Amino acid sequence: MELIVLAIKDIFRRKGKSLYLLVAIVIPVAILSTILLTFDNADSSLSNLASKFGFTLIVQPKNVRVDRINQIGVNTEEYIPEGVVREIEKRVREIILNPKDRIITVVRFYKDEKVLAGKYEVSSVVAGVDFKSELEAKPSWTLTDGRWPTSDREAVLGGTYASSRKISLNDTVTINGSEFKVAGILQNYNSSEDYMVFAPFAEVQKLFDKTGFVSVINIQNVSLDKDKKLLQAAVEDINRNIPNITALSPQQFSTMKYTLLKKTLKFLLAIVVATVAVSIFSIFNIMTSVLYSRVKEIGLLKSVGASRSQLLTIFLSEYLTIGLIGGMIGYPLGLFMTYLLDSFLLKLGTGVRVNLLYVLVALLVGVFCSFAASSYPIYRLSRIKITESFRTQWEG
Amino acid sequence: MDNSNGTAFLELKNVNKTFNLSYGEVTALEHVSLTINKRELVALVGPSGSGKTTLLNIIGSLDRPSKGEVILEGTRIDTLSEEELVHFRREKFSFIFQDAKPLRMLNVLENTLLPFNFFKPKNRNGNIRNEGIEIIKSLGLGHRLYHMPSQLSGGEIQRVAIARALITHPAMILADEPTANLDRDNRLFVIETFRKLSKEKDIAIVLSTHDLEIANRADRIVHLKDGVFLKDEAIACPPCKV
Repeated sequence: MELIVLAIKDIFRRKGKSLYLLVAIVIPVAILSTILLTFDNADSSLSNLASKFGFTLIVQPKNVRVDRINQIGVNTEEYIPEGVVREIEKRVREIILNPKDRIITVVRFYKDEKVLAGKYEVSSVVAGVDFKSELEAKPSWTLTDGRWPTSDREAVLGGTYASSRKISLNDTVTINGSEFKVAGILQNYNSSEDYMVFAPFAEVQKLFDKTGFVSVINIQNVSLDKDKKLLQAAVEDINRNIPNITALSPQQFSTMKYTLLKKTLKFLLAIVVATVAVSIFSIFNIMTSVLYSRVKEIGLLKSVGASRSQLLTIFLSEYLTIGLIGGMIGYPLGLFMTYLLDSFLLKLGTGVRVNLLYVLVALLVGVFCSFAASSYPIYRLSRIKITESFRTQWEG
Repeated sequence: MDNSNGTAFLELKNVNKTFNLSYGEVTALEHVSLTINKRELVALVGPSGSGKTTLLNIIGSLDRPSKGEVILEGTRIDTLSEEELVHFRREKFSFIFQDAKPLRMLNVLENTLLPFNFFKPKNRNGNIRNEGIEIIKSLGLGHRLYHMPSQLSGGEIQRVAIARALITHPAMILADEPTANLDRDNRLFVIETFRKLSKEKDIAIVLSTHDLEIANRADRIVHLKDGVFLKDEAIACPPCKV
């Protein structure tokens, strides 16, 4: 029988203690995998986001701090007076020099509101949009079902919003007491729009008593798109001359959000490192107690001819196998936790994908935790004399 | 004191052993000289703390004397390195401990063959596994070959330890209180097995015991008290004395 087989047989014999160790390893691996996968998802979500904006310039209220915008920049708390729109258009036109260059302005009004959708009221982001200008700016915006609204009391639902609440065409959603008929279902774009309710701009303003206010102004212009210096000049000019607003290029916007997410995830990563350290310490304690309860077994193995290196092989194989299994269980658990986190909290909408590099990281972390926690007690016990192992009361 | 009736297999010359404990130095053995011959069954007797186990450990090279020499077949073994001792022990000694239960994850046969997980047997013809089965059967455990230790009685567990000790064809078996915790039938079975093995397989066997009924079935009884050699008593007709 090989030494490794001896080690594996022992894992199965000590099911309870092996399981206990396994749990202690699975937890940090799962948390680490969750953080890494979420980081990865946030990264691709933001890349998608930058490419999906389709806008040259984004203007939002000055008071909107980075930490108050949600996943893709939906600010539902601060507003800009609508009159600013003309002023911004005027300044952009002066900067681009060519008066024939077309400027498309898309304004949106956002509000977090409980919406009666299907049987239940659910917290939703209601977007007041001008469907005509939206489609002009984003011709790729398409419906999977139905048509674009033609009346003030019609709405379009994000694909995920409709499917998750089992809402079909011609059903009604009630926003702030007013019923809207579902005219169309939007195609999923893996963005927060998949989770929104879109209704005519003016109607939504009225519903929330915010006529004359907008949440965000998006500008589309070919000249600015082509010339980054010109775009930067426009951003600076608007920020300098129009009070209480912040103009950003989509790139800046993404960077801003990315920085926030990165900071958050770095913080979480630090927590994970601390968790791993605490886990290693607790695994160390468990291992020490388990190993000390095996001192007589070590004495027996030595007495039948096991050398120190053979003992190290047996015990390290045993605990490294547990570490490896911990990594193998921890990673899928991390995937599941990422899915839950994304579905119920972050809503990055990028889906959960297996990342082979992170599988490797999870396995290595599992093995590392196990090795770091077990190597010292194993080393120490492998040095114990046969006579001491039988003389001493080591039972743990 | 010396008692050399045959070929000297192992010799202890003026062995002292002291332990440095937190409360001071304790002398466990003092000026012990002893010769053990092949085919001899020697019982170490004495009250608790008399130094039986310490002497057994020094004989088996599990511990080193503080002073004195241990010579086995002309080789001084108390000065060998730990690595050399591992190889030396594999070839020459087998141990049976009172507390050394078989490994719980292995069955009786696997426990018997356990030493060969760590080294390959030298100069052995035939199938080791079959030999293991034969040894187990000879100890009356033929029906327990594939049973786990948790399914065995105390007496059977001790027989597994004997089987494991025999499989390596040792020159000497050292048994520390091998009959403690066993009922009388099993105690007698163990000592009679030892007697038989020492004569049939040319093995020197040294055991420690409190039990005079067991000790009186040995070829010699070495009496110890407070680490001092009291008496080396040869039993002319061991079974007759019982």
